[in-house]
Amino acid sequence: MLEVRNGGFETTVQDYPGRIGMLSLGFAPAGPMDDYAFRFANVLVGNPPGAAGLEITAGGLVVAFHDERAFAVCGADMAARLNGQPVVLWRSYRARPGDVLEFDYLQGAGFRTYLAVSGGIDVPPVLGSRSTYLPGSVGGLDGRKLQAGDRLPLGEPRVDLGQVIDRRVRADLIPGYAGYNEVWEVEATRGPQADPDYMTREDMDAFFSHHWKLDAASNRTGYRLDIYKWQWARTSGGAGGGHPSNIIDNGYPVGAVNVCGDQPIILCIDGPTLGGFICNAVVAKAAMWKLGQMVPGWSYIHFKEVSLEEAIELLARQDASISEENLERS
Amino acid sequence: MTEHTAAQPSGVILATFPEHNGRPGVVYRNAGDSFLLVEFGDMVFDLTMSFRVLGLDDAIKRHRPEGLIEVIPALRSVLINYDSRVLPAKRLIEFVQAQYEELPPFHDLVVPSRIVELPIAFDDKWTREAIARYVQYQRADAPNIINGTNSEYAAMYNGLRDKEEFFEYIMATDWWNAALGFFPGLPFAYPLDPRRAVVIPKYNPTRHWTPAGTIGIAGPCLAIYPVESAGGYQIFAHTVPIYDPQQRNPAFRESPVLLRPGDRLRFRPRVTDEELEAMIQAVYDGTYQYVIDETATFDVGEYLRFLDSVREEAEAFRRHQAEAATRVPIP
Repeated sequence: MLEVRNGGFETTVQDYPGRIGMLSLGFAPAGPMDDYAFRFANVLVGNPPGAAGLEITAGGLVVAFHDERAFAVCGADMAARLNGQPVVLWRSYRARPGDVLEFDYLQGAGFRTYLAVSGGIDVPPVLGSRSTYLPGSVGGLDGRKLQAGDRLPLGEPRVDLGQVIDRRVRADLIPGYAGYNEVWEVEATRGPQADPDYMTREDMDAFFSHHWKLDAASNRTGYRLDIYKWQWARTSGGAGGGHPSNIIDNGYPVGAVNVCGDQPIILCIDGPTLGGFICNAVVAKAAMWKLGQMVPGWSYIHFKEVSLEEAIELLARQDASISEENLERS
Repeated sequence: MTEHTAAQPSGVILATFPEHNGRPGVVYRNAGDSFLLVEFGDMVFDLTMSFRVLGLDDAIKRHRPEGLIEVIPALRSVLINYDSRVLPAKRLIEFVQAQYEELPPFHDLVVPSRIVELPIAFDDKWTREAIARYVQYQRADAPNIINGTNSEYAAMYNGLRDKEEFFEYIMATDWWNAALGFFPGLPFAYPLDPRRAVVIPKYNPTRHWTPAGTIGIAGPCLAIYPVESAGGYQIFAHTVPIYDPQQRNPAFRESPVLLRPGDRLRFRPRVTDEELEAMIQAVYDGTYQYVIDETATFDVGEYLRFLDSVREEAEAFRRHQAEAATRVPIP
């Protein structure tokens, strides 16, 4: 059992890939915003990469261990300490009963960090997943973020603790994060509604070259970017509505860039599943993790166009890299 | 199968198939490494497309190839979630097109379609608060907001006498729920009576906040917001919960989602804010009884004959509406 002494700014239980196959009922998948750090944290402690762990946004979480477990913290630096001793990111540790793990707030680049505990968080799956989906108030612990006094059940570890502690992720696989006011390069494919029929070629050239500022009003449902005066290839949305960004409602891909009037919004993993605005690009699945480490109100995004084949290749390479073979003894 | 692989320089369109023997054409669009968007016919409001789409959805599910994760139907499209490493896009397109071409004629269909009656309060206090917040924090000069409501704008845009006439239109037709989505259990419902088919453009920019239970319209589509959320529809009414993750009412016993694709929504009775507030309370204490005809069916052939019989009237309304819209600014 893991006892929550302070829930911090926003801490939720997540698993990977989340609640899959329920988009047609309106359930976004949820899951970790940075699935790369999340999966590596699990691999470090000997869990399956998708096992349920904690997503800590901005910081402030304090937890106490009630039994002996391996744990790992991957993602943004929040100056984590175990009983006051610094915890190094991307590395596995042993926790004993009574040990207290504390997170401060953000120390620099990055926005979310992930805590994996051997055995995983054993809250009951809801509609096939343990992920917390805040807009629908389902999953995780009672469909909400964690607060002081919560007690999280833990699962049975798969391997001996001795085998999985004191390991670290190979240094070249630990990603660097763009800092405040810096630009993240995010791979994305063009379409489904882009040039030539919905936007002009110039609109799409601007989309793939502009440095988009991430608005402070951004969260797991959507990342709002700057207002832009698009040319549009159509003068109206026809039967979809008066504005040329309007269409007759259709399903939205997870990670799509949804252009609502003048404003592009990246639909994140808690985002809407269906709607009536065009999507001019889709973030490559292998690049979705970057969204999790951007800082709303501070980060900039440059969309780098990739082909469908390149996006699939990136994903294959990413999945292959998250493995036991890429860990070292520390 | 006569495929016309598009020579689009942008690479967005992966394949197109022209209209054939009355069967609408199909366009396959690149929607990233995990999704494929399939569109049928033209970007026009044609409710009968929903019958084909739901038929195709069913056929795909029955013949599900390995690597296909989910089909997300909408009025004139399906979005397919798939594992592109197991099922390459090209093979998926061939599979979907084959299923589409084997669909039986839809005129003879009699499909199960429940009738769900929902109470409605127009220009209620919750809707007014959402609009007031939008004016205060997001956009003060939005042309779609008149006297703190969207309903006056909706009436003007459709050439209706006043907002009361707009409300009458909402209650005078059944609404066909073609799809669920956006947030859990949210219906995308379209008017079955084309003489009452209002059309309204969306918010620009979209609202940051909409309370659960709000009813809105954008384009020809009506939605009920199941949870507190952002939103882009013009909002004008409120109803009882259609989503309850805590499943506190017998209507939610089987699923936290009340509605299904293929349901018909009927708004009645018209109630005051206070009456609706009491009903919402009763939903949560388990005593409210949703009025749902579970055994109703929908006869597609009969509906097509009805459409024929009102064609001129519907056409006249559309012309009137289009003419009125030219005099009204869009957001």
